[in-house]
Amino acid sequence: MTTYVLRRLLQAVPLLLGITVVSFAILKAIPGGPMAAYEGNPNITDEDIRRLEHALGLDQPVHIQYLSWLTAFLTGDWGYSYSSHRAVLTEIMERFPKTVYLMGTVYVVTLLVAIPIGILTAVRQYSWFDHIVTGTTFAFLSTPTFWLGLLLIIVFGLQLRLLPLGGMATLGTDFDLLDRVRHLILPVATLSLVGIGRYVRFLRASMLETLTQDYLRTARAKGLGERIVVARHALKNASIPLVTVAALDLPELFVGALVTEQIFGWPGMGRLYWDAATRSDYPVIMGFLAVAASLIILANLAADVFYAYLDPRIRYA
Amino acid sequence: MATLRSSQLLAQAVALPATAYRERGQWRMAFERFLEHRLAVAGIVVLALLALLSAFAPLVSPYNPEKTNLLLIFESPSPSHPMGTDSLGRDLATRILYGGRVSLSVGVLAIAVAITLGTLIGGIAGFYGRWIDAVLMRVVDMMLSFPRLFLLILFGVFFKGMTLGVIVIVLGLLSWMPTSRLVRATFLSLKNRDFVEAARSIGARNRDIIARHILPNSLAPIIVAATLGVAGAIITESTLSFLGLGIQPPTPSWGNMLKDATSEMNQAPWTAIFPGLFIFLAVVSINFIGDGLRDALDPRHVTKRI
Amino acid sequence: MSTAVGDVRLGRGRMTVKRFSIVLASIALVVAACTPTPGGTPASGTPAASEGPTRGGTLIFAMWQEPTTLAPPYLNQTIAGLVSQVAVEGLTRTDTDGKYQPVLAKSVPDINNGGVKLSADGKKMDVTYELLSAVTWSDGHAFTSADVKFTWENRMKDPKVVNRAGYDQIESIDTPNDTNVVMHFKSVYAPYPTLFGALLAKHVAEKEADLSKSDYNQRPLGTGPFKFTEFVAGDHITAERNPNYRDKTKPYLDKIIFKSVPASEVAIAQLKAGEVQGMWNILESQTPDLEKESAIKLVITPSPSVERVEINTAANKDMTDPTSVHPVLGDIAMRKALVWATPKQQLVDKLLFGKAKPGSSGYSQGWAKYTGPPQDSYDPKKANDELDKAGWVKGADGIRSKGGVRASLTITSTTGNKTREQVEQVLSDEYKQIGVELKIQNQPSSVFLSGSWSAGDPRKRGTFDLDMYATSPDIDPHTHIFTRFHSSQIPSAANNGLGNNYTRLRSPDVDKAIDEGGATLDLEKRKAAYNNAVKGINDAYVIIWLYERASIDAFRTNVGGWQGNVWDNITWNSGDWYLKK
Repeated sequence: MTTYVLRRLLQAVPLLLGITVVSFAILKAIPGGPMAAYEGNPNITDEDIRRLEHALGLDQPVHIQYLSWLTAFLTGDWGYSYSSHRAVLTEIMERFPKTVYLMGTVYVVTLLVAIPIGILTAVRQYSWFDHIVTGTTFAFLSTPTFWLGLLLIIVFGLQLRLLPLGGMATLGTDFDLLDRVRHLILPVATLSLVGIGRYVRFLRASMLETLTQDYLRTARAKGLGERIVVARHALKNASIPLVTVAALDLPELFVGALVTEQIFGWPGMGRLYWDAATRSDYPVIMGFLAVAASLIILANLAADVFYAYLDPRIRYA
Repeated sequence: MATLRSSQLLAQAVALPATAYRERGQWRMAFERFLEHRLAVAGIVVLALLALLSAFAPLVSPYNPEKTNLLLIFESPSPSHPMGTDSLGRDLATRILYGGRVSLSVGVLAIAVAITLGTLIGGIAGFYGRWIDAVLMRVVDMMLSFPRLFLLILFGVFFKGMTLGVIVIVLGLLSWMPTSRLVRATFLSLKNRDFVEAARSIGARNRDIIARHILPNSLAPIIVAATLGVAGAIITESTLSFLGLGIQPPTPSWGNMLKDATSEMNQAPWTAIFPGLFIFLAVVSINFIGDGLRDALDPRHVTKRI
Repeated sequence: MSTAVGDVRLGRGRMTVKRFSIVLASIALVVAACTPTPGGTPASGTPAASEGPTRGGTLIFAMWQEPTTLAPPYLNQTIAGLVSQVAVEGLTRTDTDGKYQPVLAKSVPDINNGGVKLSADGKKMDVTYELLSAVTWSDGHAFTSADVKFTWENRMKDPKVVNRAGYDQIESIDTPNDTNVVMHFKSVYAPYPTLFGALLAKHVAEKEADLSKSDYNQRPLGTGPFKFTEFVAGDHITAERNPNYRDKTKPYLDKIIFKSVPASEVAIAQLKAGEVQGMWNILESQTPDLEKESAIKLVITPSPSVERVEINTAANKDMTDPTSVHPVLGDIAMRKALVWATPKQQLVDKLLFGKAKPGSSGYSQGWAKYTGPPQDSYDPKKANDELDKAGWVKGADGIRSKGGVRASLTITSTTGNKTREQVEQVLSDEYKQIGVELKIQNQPSSVFLSGSWSAGDPRKRGTFDLDMYATSPDIDPHTHIFTRFHSSQIPSAANNGLGNNYTRLRSPDVDKAIDEGGATLDLEKRKAAYNNAVKGINDAYVIIWLYERASIDAFRTNVGGWQGNVWDNITWNSGDWYLKK
């Protein structure tokens, strides 16, 4: 197992390198650039634009630009944002906890709700409970997240005026737990509802498959109560695929849900990326993609390792 | 299951077109199982309705989806405009029908590209194995490690005005990986089965083996994945258009109609409700169909408890 | 069996813990939902009228674009200037009538009061500013002439400053004492009062090795009524009362918090709900909704911003040759027809809700504003006749062609701007009526407005037919009109993309008028010259001046003291703002 993990980690290095090269190439191939931000200024002359391009190193050949980025990046200098002139690492570190705060809550809520519901629908297949759950889960997982978010804002924020319209907390006041919770409700609801839909369906399918296995027949024949059969045997085995899927969703914890953060004004990683992408802020975009890609690679590895750990039938060379 | 395989072997041995007969039986059984799934059938009906209405939009609606009429801005729903009008006085129902053409076709075509590419790559990797497999799977890993939406945003900025064709290709290029893994896994498991060995022993060529034996047996998971992929592609296109990076106005698509509608929600909520509703209907139907297909096509997938 | 018992307990335990947490979570949700909306800060009281400014309170101002930096040499966005202004001041400012007013200077120097002295040959000038005494920065350090000189030096030395226009005309600066600054210009630079609108604090800025990477970008030091205390990226910026402000009675407010919201619709919703008390840059289409609200007051000020359609008279080709001729738009009859087919008044009435004016020039405000004959009005019949006369024949599909060239054009503007998309669609419709096909091909502003030859800005390279966007000239229009309409300013491969004359206009009359405007300090003469230039531009039919936009901000009715300013941001007098009790 350890050799497998080590081998995967080693393979991750050229993978990440390749990703940075491709990302950089795409960025450079895109027409336009960070100079557009200066358009509205009536006093900017062409000399100014050229001077700024030179100061940012944008007039050098592409491969030189990439190599200077790479060497700096590897030594911990992730560059400075073209628009805010702050260190990219600072920008990312500022947004990171806020995204984890939101997505972590989403993750926990999703799992806490989806697991019991998923188990119950499988156990009580074809009951009225199952039908209702099937209907609602399909409905939620078929809804585009941005539409759901907007509808929730209209209903709860605008019409009923029950919940705030965005942001993490009410400004100008001190830290208040209840206030924070109120600001969390709508964005968490938007993301969780869709996620719960997915996870319930997934768990239901895998529980159903497990519940019909022969070894459970044996367990029941032995006289074990249904609850134990479900909890101890079925759930443990049905949850293996669930764990792998949950592990694959982990990168979202850090990378954030871009559209939801936009709609709810959540100052997280997703919004950072959007601002950077629309402003052609290359250093921030590259930093972000590097982080996201690393997380995805690590999550994939974690999922595979978990899977092998939980399922003794799997053995990696 | 055993009966199926041995009869195929037998048929191969006597060079009868046995697969034809068995496949019809196999598919017919699947079809009947599908019909038992009420929600899936409902899904087909709804989807067919949406597709037909969109395809025959010019016959269904008397209005021109792009003709502006500044005097009729934001009319609420009425008999002459069942879903009201939008910010330029255009009939919303008409735009939704024409928008359906775009949104539905983007979904189907993008996945067609993805499935073709994925099957090709996964099949080659799974069948030929060894270093070809290793290289291709590294490529898959790399593509999978890119955060998809973020890449799509970069592409959206890249192409000067996303036309339908460009969006289809880009979405397809970013969605083929799961299919390739699926196909590869199926090919890997099937290529060592007895009936393939039997076929090889009587001198069948590789491409015949793939075409007549392996591919038909791997169709089931591909079909299910494709169906669910279309749902995902429709949502992705609508999200892109919502962000302003997808289909450009004046061509209507359900997503870009929502982009305009978010700022109009207070004055004209119907502009926000209806396009989203249609996305929802289409995606829900497709999901139900996919669910039904999954139950129907996988004979090992037992849905009833013993 | 013991395992079974143990498992049952364990099993039940696991289930119970899960169930319990779900129940707990649901209770929390219900409780949270039932809690009434907080009243916010003391700011959102009842909108009862009261006389005189009251001291105290926090005002939350919504901004739906985020400033990336607040430091004067690097800031470029309007919102950054708006926010920065509550703390950072300059020597002079421009009032709403377009007149220069002193801020940190005692008076505005000009030829008449001896502040400006021309050299003997009339080719150079010296400008002397006398500064207010006893002014300190918000950290207590004295403000002196050294700060002014340092601001100039930084401008010229730092490679990352945004622009140097004007500062590069200063040869040297003398500071004979703490309150006097003498600037030696190497030319007669007429817009000199627009320089030094935001000053750097030498004692802080000079300590930084690279000012562009320092905290100065988030919390620049200033002499204004407020000082910046907090900058949380993506969330909010806090400005608190400056205890060292030279007017001890002001500012009235304790704090202004600039809150970052993702979109203007969200800002409007929050304004209506009272979560914020002011917001910036409201779109015309949002005004009918806000006008219905009794607790909200709109601040509508004319602005110098004019939305226009530029017509490319050279061929639509990458790195187009300035002497080439556009196959369709090279024909003046076609250009006339396009102008006559544009329903400006309708656009203003229906899409902009009457909050704008149909345009006639790019210079709608100030001393240089255009007062000549308006641009031709909407007359589609005349357009059709003109095209018929010029030999553009309608084909079977209704689109005209002449000499084998089909009248098919594209229009390019920025994506994500609903009003622009609406205008484009109306134009597409209207032009079809006169037999011209118009296709819409928008691009994100980072591409379309990059202003960079190397980055492929289509306007620079000439790869467009029609384009549409807005520009705002400065109070002194010379740089603007020169770079955009003088024949020497056509970007091409030969001059490495220099200039902003995107219409590729080459008119000797216009050139002469522009040169006259820049050659004298006499405002009357300059105004006449610029008016002639605009007449010439309009006679060439290379621009369709769509509409002159108003600048629209909004406050809740319990906020007082604000005043609109044509040439400045709404925060220009933030020291006067107060909250009514």
